[in-house]
Amino acid sequence: MISFPTEINVTSVNVMTSDEGGLSTEQVVNLAMDRIIRVSDTAPPAIKEQAEAFQNNIRQVLYHYIELARREERGTIANRMAKAGQEEMADLVRRI
Amino acid sequence: MAITQAMCTSFKQQLLTGTHDFTTSTGNTFKLALYAIASGGKSSTTATLGASTTAFTTTGEVASSGTYATGGGTLTNVTPTTDGTTAITDFADLSFTTATITARGALIYNSSATNAAVAALDFGGDKTSTAGTFTIQFPTADASNAIIRIA
Repeated sequence: MISFPTEINVTSVNVMTSDEGGLSTEQVVNLAMDRIIRVSDTAPPAIKEQAEAFQNNIRQVLYHYIELARREERGTIANRMAKAGQEEMADLVRRI
Repeated sequence: MAITQAMCTSFKQQLLTGTHDFTTSTGNTFKLALYAIASGGKSSTTATLGASTTAFTTTGEVASSGTYATGGGTLTNVTPTTDGTTAITDFADLSFTTATITARGALIYNSSATNAAVAALDFGGDKTSTAGTFTIQFPTADASNAIIRIA
């Protein structure tokens, strides 16, 4: 008899939620980090250490630029609101 | 009444009859609906999802809120590929914003094929957003982690 052992699998998803607004920068960074680099628990110590150092570096860079992007986007939105005569709303957006 | 993580048995059979097409853009439309247990669904219903689920059901589905509308959100397919000897497919992450939702799990189903069930997902506990964002991130698309794998 010839058999072909085959497995069909489904993996768990990661769920992230927020209250009273969108995801925080830390949460967005965590979502991105899961896609960029994953360090195996079974990796040799030297490689693991190097990978974790790289991971921390990427995390800091991502955090900085996501924060910057959010701030710049708020600046653009506030500017458009102010131009449309919504000074009070523009000020609220600027202070987020 | 529970939600058990599983690939639906009917989906496995339908793979052999060519029911599902996961190709980006030209493939079928797949959706993800959110479910609650302990009477947390709309109209106080409770979800029972698992390997024996054959199609989308409204029983136990969470109510519409924010950008979540009953029936669930449409997934963006990633064309199936291979990693070594394993065939894999993936979806883009899905987010519902300004939503007040408590969900324990989800069902992926094919709305192009009479809402045939694909997989039941167990979140491992209640996940709640309050006037916020509810994001589902799919795992890395490789032979060990992809959301759907045939090895």
